[in-house]
Amino acid sequence: MFRYESLEDCPLDEDEDAFQGLGEEDEEIDQFNEDTFGSGAVDDDWQEAHERLAELEEKLPAAVNEQTGNGERDEMDLLGDHEENLAERLSKMVIENELEDPAIMRAVQTRPVLQPQPGSLNSSIWDGSEVLRRIRGPLLAQEMPTVSVLEYALPQKPPQGPEDDRDLSERALPRRSTSPIIGSPPVRAVPIGTPPKQMAVPSFNQQILCPKPVHVRPPMPPRYPAPYGERMSPNQLCNVPNSSLLGHPFPPSVPPVLSPLQRAQLLGGAQLQPGRMSPSQFARVPGFVGSPLAAMNPKLLQGRVGQMLPPAPGFRAFFSAPPPATPPPPQQHPPGPGPLVQNLRSQAPMFRADTTHLHPQHRRLLHQRQQQNRNQHRNLNGAGDRGSHRSSHQDHLRKDPYANLMLQREKDWVAKIQMMQLQSTDPYLDDFYYQNYFEKLEKLSAAEELQGDGPKKERTKLITPQVAKLEHAYKPVQFEGSLGKLTVSSVNNPRKMIDAVVTSRSEDDETKEKQVRDKRRKTLVIIEKTYSLLLDVEDYERRYLLSLEEERPALMDERKHKICSMYDNLRGKLPGQERPSDDLFVQIMCIRKGKRMVARILPFLSTEQAADILMTTARNLPFLIKKDAQDEVLPCLLSPFSLLLYHLPSVTVTSLLQQLMNLPQSAAAPAPSNPHLTAVLQNKFGLSLLLVVLSRGEDLQSSDPATESTENNQWMQVMFMATRELLRIPQAALAKPISIPTNLVSLFSRYVDRQKLNLLETKLQLVQGIR
Amino acid sequence: MNYMPGTASLIEDIDKKHLVLLRDGRTLIGFLRSIDQFANLVLHQTVERIHVGKKYGDIPRGIFVVRGENVVLLGEIDLEKESDTPLQQVSIEEILEEQRVEQQTKLENEKLKVQALKDRGLSVPRADTLDEY
Repeated sequence: MFRYESLEDCPLDEDEDAFQGLGEEDEEIDQFNEDTFGSGAVDDDWQEAHERLAELEEKLPAAVNEQTGNGERDEMDLLGDHEENLAERLSKMVIENELEDPAIMRAVQTRPVLQPQPGSLNSSIWDGSEVLRRIRGPLLAQEMPTVSVLEYALPQKPPQGPEDDRDLSERALPRRSTSPIIGSPPVRAVPIGTPPKQMAVPSFNQQILCPKPVHVRPPMPPRYPAPYGERMSPNQLCNVPNSSLLGHPFPPSVPPVLSPLQRAQLLGGAQLQPGRMSPSQFARVPGFVGSPLAAMNPKLLQGRVGQMLPPAPGFRAFFSAPPPATPPPPQQHPPGPGPLVQNLRSQAPMFRADTTHLHPQHRRLLHQRQQQNRNQHRNLNGAGDRGSHRSSHQDHLRKDPYANLMLQREKDWVAKIQMMQLQSTDPYLDDFYYQNYFEKLEKLSAAEELQGDGPKKERTKLITPQVAKLEHAYKPVQFEGSLGKLTVSSVNNPRKMIDAVVTSRSEDDETKEKQVRDKRRKTLVIIEKTYSLLLDVEDYERRYLLSLEEERPALMDERKHKICSMYDNLRGKLPGQERPSDDLFVQIMCIRKGKRMVARILPFLSTEQAADILMTTARNLPFLIKKDAQDEVLPCLLSPFSLLLYHLPSVTVTSLLQQLMNLPQSAAAPAPSNPHLTAVLQNKFGLSLLLVVLSRGEDLQSSDPATESTENNQWMQVMFMATRELLRIPQAALAKPISIPTNLVSLFSRYVDRQKLNLLETKLQLVQGIR
Repeated sequence: MNYMPGTASLIEDIDKKHLVLLRDGRTLIGFLRSIDQFANLVLHQTVERIHVGKKYGDIPRGIFVVRGENVVLLGEIDLEKESDTPLQQVSIEEILEEQRVEQQTKLENEKLKVQALKDRGLSVPRADTLDEY
């Protein structure tokens, strides 16, 4: 014990005496002592000893109980009591849970514990985790004691015939070295945190000697009508003492793993209570067990409220254990298949009205498919006529001895997790395309129905299910007994990994290139910000529909505000005395995304603002055209511009035309060349815009003869100049416009003579025939 | 029963025969017995099928537990159409031999290519040495 490896380990010289003293002690102590190496060290001793003690402890209450009568009943009670204790102990012990990831659990725990509430639909998603947690405790605990129950009750019946082909599916648990006496702590073959296990029964070859052959009546055969009534929550179910939820499901002679079909057959055979159930009902059950959702959907779709729906996992655990021995409370439903169906129908829906955003169409599809399956099952399990209805798939399943290794409960568990991932507080935000797709489908089918002979399908109202936004204040994990606050980094409380410091560079260091790049980046940022504003503004319409009356003015204000900010972003915020420079706008327009964005923004702007944009565009058009050479996105602007033009007064149109063609203010001698106009005309967008402007001008002229003479004059002047310019341009240089307004011929006919008109016509291809 | 139409859920695939392609290129065929939320798979009576050209060979593997992240794709095998294949099944030894030969020729071609590029002064960066996208 005190062998030191090196000198350094030796105590200081001062302690030499002590050391020597220790050394002496050393010799006295027999290192190869009894406790460590001798008889005291045999491993299983303590376990056996413990169990013997436990046995003793249990015998006493058992002896007491026996005196009161009904030995079997009391065994069950005892079982219940012990199991209850165990359950409590275990549930305290259970630290980790497959669903106890705080990120998920947080969402789950804020839900109130399931209580029977009239008028609310309870969901298995929310309660399943809690139920699972609770169920797993008692259920897992029961593996040990229930094994012992079976061992005590040796097989009374001869093994049944159909067992032969089930032998392969027996999954015998490994032999345990300990005797599983009731009340002893279970030896864990699997760690606590594993997902729900199938409740398996070990083979009866296990030699478990029990000194006292206590006869335990095998658990009552399954009775499917809910003995506790539908109104009990699974938590209550689990905590009910003497419940056979806690007891072992199968009668002793039943091998551990069965497909639901086989199970059902067996249970039907083992039934002791005549008249209650018939094998066909049993056989039907697996089908129903497999389709809880089918049961749920009619509920949801029909909007039935007020049903107490215990969670599915709770029920399924309930189901895989037979209903308890206690007689069922009076049911309002008729006996026979009624209660069976009703109970399964009353399982909690996998979907909850406010926890899923599955579109009703989607749900309808789901429902339809389930009905098909259900019908299949019904046919399948109908009396006598089994062979013909069974599909080959079912055949395979039947012959496949390894089928259904994954329990329905486990499948539900996985499905539940997947469903949880689908929940969202704002389905439009999270699943935009899904929502839109199904809305489109709905509209299509609605349109079709209108055309057709009338509504055939049931029309489900659109439920907008949303999870309420749960605000949880994150409380960081605190360790008990620690000094100070230990920080635990988790998804809710991330730790800063990198200390990123933003350093601003001085102006001198930057090269020209960098400046350009920075400027471009800034423009990109502005575009992005404006785009988010635009998306919000576009979304307001939908929000109007969803919002309440009082909220609407606020929404309107928000919208206006956003539109203003958008405009400011486009034109530059600081107006100054006169109009701000076009620079920012031009920069934005040089970028493809910017152009598209402007096209989308235009409808929201006021007329003056939009006109301003249009003017700026026209002014800088050649530059923009040059920049657009690669993207060719400018034509997207044509349609909003033309829409705008129809609202513009004559003055604006005139000045616009001037800008477009870069015509001098006075009708002085024309410049030798007009590169501005050339550029405009050579570009598709430019030419189209020009034509639209001309057309609009013409409309104004012709429609309103009583306009101001000044305006008229201005327009005429501009037109003269315009036509002069147009005549000068060679035809080959012209682009092909997107659309040619029809009134241009009449326009030009005012200002030019016949010859030139013809020229213009051919040039601009104004006459339809010439192409 | 169909839990969630329109979603990718493996629940309906349980107890059916599947072909699973793994990230390392292996092809496994087996009955899908169990899944979990990460798409970890439990395959039963699994067979690893090696394909070389028109031939294939099966190596029986028993029970496979595959971690979900290693699955590239999986698909259900139609049991009726399973035998309807132009491929020829050969013995394990033969297919392994074929595979070895194929790998060898591939390596040699690769070497020639790299050499040719090197001669021209170019170099092909190897995927494992790339640390940028």
